[in-house]
Amino acid sequence: MSHEALKTYEGATPGQQICEGHITVTQADIDEFCRLLGYDHPAYRADAPGGAIAPPSMGLTYGLRLGWEADVFPPGVIRMGDENVHGHSVRAGDELTTALSIVDKFERKGRKFLKYEFVTTNQSGQLVCSVKFAAIVA
Amino acid sequence: MTAATPMTAGEKLPRAEIAITQEMIDRYAAISGDYNPIHVDAEAAAKSPFGGTIAHGCIPIEPVFKALLSQLGRPDLPFGTEFELRYRQPSKPGDTIHVEAEIVGQGDDGKWQIDIVCRNQSGEPVLDGKCRVPSDDRPGS
Repeated sequence: MSHEALKTYEGATPGQQICEGHITVTQADIDEFCRLLGYDHPAYRADAPGGAIAPPSMGLTYGLRLGWEADVFPPGVIRMGDENVHGHSVRAGDELTTALSIVDKFERKGRKFLKYEFVTTNQSGQLVCSVKFAAIVA
Repeated sequence: MTAATPMTAGEKLPRAEIAITQEMIDRYAAISGDYNPIHVDAEAAAKSPFGGTIAHGCIPIEPVFKALLSQLGRPDLPFGTEFELRYRQPSKPGDTIHVEAEIVGQGDDGKWQIDIVCRNQSGEPVLDGKCRVPSDDRPGS
């Protein structure tokens, strides 16, 4: 599916789902995230009782990742703010599904904005996180 | 991470900070898939209004998560925790971002509201907003 038309303010239609993507989270992914951002709680490690969980912000990062991998954003897009809701923790081995939609478009002070929503669920259909963010597109 | 500290209106969350480097931004690009030139291409970013690369938006939020997890004394967030954040200015390589967060009180829905501002080493706000944390952790509560 081409997302070229969605990369412009004019081509974006609020309420429209742009794409859906899937990703499996591995322990190596969690380890790298923790190393990079300085998380050291034992619950994030491979030997954690019951299996490792990921830091909460990793669910957020992996949700947003779909948009970049699917190449749906206008060039040079800048995020202005987030509205996030956190659900169940991500666990090593989880298969995440993220649905990306455009929920609003508006103009303010001569600039054009698109508002996106990501909803990420795990393999059981449970909410991991949802993220809404407005971005300047022109 | 320490034991949980009870939520009390007027109290501040523990201090947390992150020192941002270009290497961190590059590695975060690999994790997030966000290779926007404004983050990873110094030459292109130098021609932008920012005059150089800037960090991904999620990076300066990290101190917020760390302070909250430290306050809660747990590695995860209660189900239904909400954030509403606005970016005030970009964070750049070399910046150290810290969070100042104060517990405002408990809403009618039982969620604790926390006011948040993250500042750089010059004291300038880079993002602000609020967080709402359920006191009851059960999904759907």
